[in-house]
Amino acid sequence: MTTSDVTIRGVSKRFGTNVVLQNIDLDIKQGELLTLLGPSGCGKTTTLNAIAGFLDPDEGELYIKGKKMNGVPPYKRDLGMVFQTYSLFPHMTVHENLVFGLKLRKLKKDEMESRIKRALELVKLTGLEKRYPRELSGGQRQRVAIARALVVEPELLLLDEPLSNLDAKLRHELRAEIKRLQKEVGVTTIFVTHDQDEALSMSDRIVVMNQGKIEQIGTPTEIYQNPQSEFVFQFIGKSNRFEGLVVEADADHTDIEIEEGWVIKTKKDNVIGKDRTFHAHDVVNLYIRPELISIKSVDQGLGAVDSELVQQKAVIKQMNYLGSQWEIEVSVKGQHHVQIIGPTIENSWSVGTEVLVEWKTSDIRLTKR
Amino acid sequence: MENLGYSPDQKMSTGFKLAPKRKVNVFRKYMAAMLLLAPLLLFILAFFVVPMIYVFYLSFIEVEGLDVSNASYSIGNYLTFFTDPYFLRSLWMTIKVSVYAVIIALILGYPIALTMAKSSARVRGYLTLLVASPLLISVVVRNFGWYLLLVPNGVIDQFLMGIGITDSPLKLLFSVPGVVIGLANSFLPFMVLSIATSLYNIDPSLEKASSIIGASPLRTFFTVTLPLSLPGVVAGIVLVFSMSMSSYVTPALMGGANVPVLPIVIYEQINTLFRWTFGSAISYILLGVTLISVTIFSRIFERKFKEVFR
Repeated sequence: MTTSDVTIRGVSKRFGTNVVLQNIDLDIKQGELLTLLGPSGCGKTTTLNAIAGFLDPDEGELYIKGKKMNGVPPYKRDLGMVFQTYSLFPHMTVHENLVFGLKLRKLKKDEMESRIKRALELVKLTGLEKRYPRELSGGQRQRVAIARALVVEPELLLLDEPLSNLDAKLRHELRAEIKRLQKEVGVTTIFVTHDQDEALSMSDRIVVMNQGKIEQIGTPTEIYQNPQSEFVFQFIGKSNRFEGLVVEADADHTDIEIEEGWVIKTKKDNVIGKDRTFHAHDVVNLYIRPELISIKSVDQGLGAVDSELVQQKAVIKQMNYLGSQWEIEVSVKGQHHVQIIGPTIENSWSVGTEVLVEWKTSDIRLTKR
Repeated sequence: MENLGYSPDQKMSTGFKLAPKRKVNVFRKYMAAMLLLAPLLLFILAFFVVPMIYVFYLSFIEVEGLDVSNASYSIGNYLTFFTDPYFLRSLWMTIKVSVYAVIIALILGYPIALTMAKSSARVRGYLTLLVASPLLISVVVRNFGWYLLLVPNGVIDQFLMGIGITDSPLKLLFSVPGVVIGLANSFLPFMVLSIATSLYNIDPSLEKASSIIGASPLRTFFTVTLPLSLPGVVAGIVLVFSMSMSSYVTPALMGGANVPVLPIVIYEQINTLFRWTFGSAISYILLGVTLISVTIFSRIFERKFKEVFR
């Protein structure tokens, strides 16, 4: 209990017959930025609302800093929260928005003023105290909302999709800023998002949720590189999928036939999910990330083909320039469409060019269908 | 340049062609709008503006008795009104009754509006119907209903005397309270619906934000919900006040001769005493007082809560 700021034990929540949270266990460490990530309806917002106190779990216990919070209303939990829609009080100036929470905590006047000054410095909005929310831009409003949440020096900072209403450039800016602020202030932060880029770039740890359950908890690199379920693998990042048939399986190796004459050898480490034993004739899904596939000209030759490398001829079907990189779609053996993301291309390539694609067998991920 | 699909010159020429065409369109749209509005505008002109101007003109004609031949133009009618204590008392009575009706409608209406705003869409629909139901019944029938309840030794008196709260009839009918009850009941829907509309427009996350900051529900109500609903409150007050000021049927049935509000006085002057030019002047005084008080009231509020009314 010493390093854990929030402890959630066996929390479930139902709306009618609809189970939105199913036996959630979660420990949030002191000072970390933890992200709840998942598609809409996965229970991430419900979890946040349970922590905030906007709803009470049907089962299970919730502790914040060791104190049991079941049944405690939001206004007695001492939290800070930033909402998707900014939720600044429109009839109050920036200063009034910030001072509201401080007045409720009955602080001394100069303490209030110095805290407001510090909070506005933190979000770089010094000098805008007398402005009303409608006189601010979207980005400024969200900064005020962050300042309002932090000025009360809350036990926890809750961020409910705070960047969703901003345009792409601003979203990027604020992402970095929230991360910096969070480390500077050191407040334990729970961040809810459906945007995997946000989650990967900002979090200390990510909780991937799906259908009211936690799929995986881990650092961004763990989540991306070692997904523990097919859902996590598919939800985070892009992937190419091949269907295959197990032709041979032993303790370490599984040989998979993608089609007549194309067999890929995989190892046990490649398997994700709970069911890790395969037998001949099992149907499997084989995944490979687009950025892990390399592409080169045919004249560079097939080279030494070994079981560590999958190599195939392919025809370019589409080339999309994304600025910092290229997104290329090729067709392998006429019927498998494969997406590749890479930094460079040859000048001579165009739609219809025959190329070579290759990837390491160790980068393949495998699940049973 | 070839594969762009158009050359810069082409773009220029289409630009020039478009400009005058657009002007015609705007003009046509304007004409179409005017044409669509014409029937209503004509109706209002013929049956509202013209009579209003005529009544205004009449109010400046002074007639001795019933003899129209010695009529003269003057502000005598207005002077008569403001120098006779009977009429001034009647004006004061009208304002008093209307303000009371507003207060009662506000006190009863706000909680109803709040309940509606917090309800699910389905419950909200039923509540709206319930709130609007007084409007579905003729004002005369509704007032007779109150009549039966409030009449001396009627249902309410019997009940209150029966449980020992009072020992004599309350005299609710033919008095100011009776009129106020009638007016508040008639105009409550306007108050409730105005406030409710304002409450619906408040972003629900604002109350969440207030709560998480540490404000109790009561505190949240007074610092967030109430201030942000003020535009609806002001609209409701203005509606109920002006309708009460000009109300005739309810004061006539519930107050009778004991509550001679201005509409009743106007009716008397015109229909009983045939002093229709004087009646016209009182009509304009009533209109003026209502307009001025409503304007001053909303100005004060809008100035005080500038940000809410934007």
